[in-house]
Amino acid sequence: MIEVKDLAKNFGRKKVLKGISFTAEKGEITCLMGINGAGKTTIMNAIMNLTSFKSGEILIDGEKLNKHSYEKITFIPDAITMLPQMTIGEALQFMKDFYTSWNEIRAKELLEFFRLKENEKISSLSKGNTAKVNLLLGLALDVDYLLMDEPFSGIDIFSREQIANVFTSHLVEDRGVIITTHEINDIEHLIDKAVLLDDGMVLREFSTEEVRENEGKSVVDVMREVYQR
Amino acid sequence: MKVTFNKRDPVYVQVVRHFKEQIATGHFEPGQEIPSRRELATQLKINPNTAQRAYKEMEEAGLIYTEGNSPSKITKNEKVIDNVREELILEAVNNFVSAIRPIHVPIDEVVGLIKEKYHDDEEG
Repeated sequence: MIEVKDLAKNFGRKKVLKGISFTAEKGEITCLMGINGAGKTTIMNAIMNLTSFKSGEILIDGEKLNKHSYEKITFIPDAITMLPQMTIGEALQFMKDFYTSWNEIRAKELLEFFRLKENEKISSLSKGNTAKVNLLLGLALDVDYLLMDEPFSGIDIFSREQIANVFTSHLVEDRGVIITTHEINDIEHLIDKAVLLDDGMVLREFSTEEVRENEGKSVVDVMREVYQR
Repeated sequence: MKVTFNKRDPVYVQVVRHFKEQIATGHFEPGQEIPSRRELATQLKINPNTAQRAYKEMEEAGLIYTEGNSPSKITKNEKVIDNVREELILEAVNNFVSAIRPIHVPIDEVVGLIKEKYHDDEEG
């Protein structure tokens, strides 16, 4: 489990995180929602130990963040970090050389799943396929937790569908996923939990099935209540 | 398998309902193998935990059964299947009655209309 407890952070004088708390379970998909500037990416960076914070703590399976944490978690940014002149195959080789947790078998499966070819140049790919390669590079690592920043943004509907399908497949298996999005429609039935953020605060954290079961509300109904007060 | 989910009922409830409909209409036959929870999640594009929950509910209700490590199957218990059929019929009738009652139509007229419509659709 990833536990974020009372996390606070300032950029200069501006308070960007004002005491954020939530949990993300292994084997579940937790969705951080909120408009730009709500603090989603900053939270992900904090979990990855890429940014310092003023107060609060983050526990991974009960342990404070340390230099071994990255063996358990990977962060998939919203844009690919590989050089555009590389082929997909070269990008995979780079990952293989760099990460001991690289899972070659899963990488090959993902290539097939996304119908990508190793000899294609990253610069020649469509936006949708670039997003798939980006996702593949993170999903192929043998880690327990995957953080994905806006995996659905700015790509066509068919690519979005294909990416959504990966979440229900064995390729994600029983890992814990934290995903940020501002577009809920694609994944309303895929996520276990939603964390609604605004202005550096958690406005509500809820199980999507429970809210449907106990309150007869859709995720969007709850979002309306929370954001349009 | 394709299901159009609404957004306000629990997804697992909707999955169970879909299975009941398939059982009642005979699309799922007694003893027929059903997809694994992962396959179901992929087919219906739903969370695997939700698929698991639906299977757990159906297992407890005796709609499906699992022997050892083999795939789960639709129940062969005729009584269970009859109950599912009855439940769905009653539910449909209840929905119909609560929709028609506020309009204050004499029951004979309603029955006549039902008979007419029922056969119309059969021929069409």
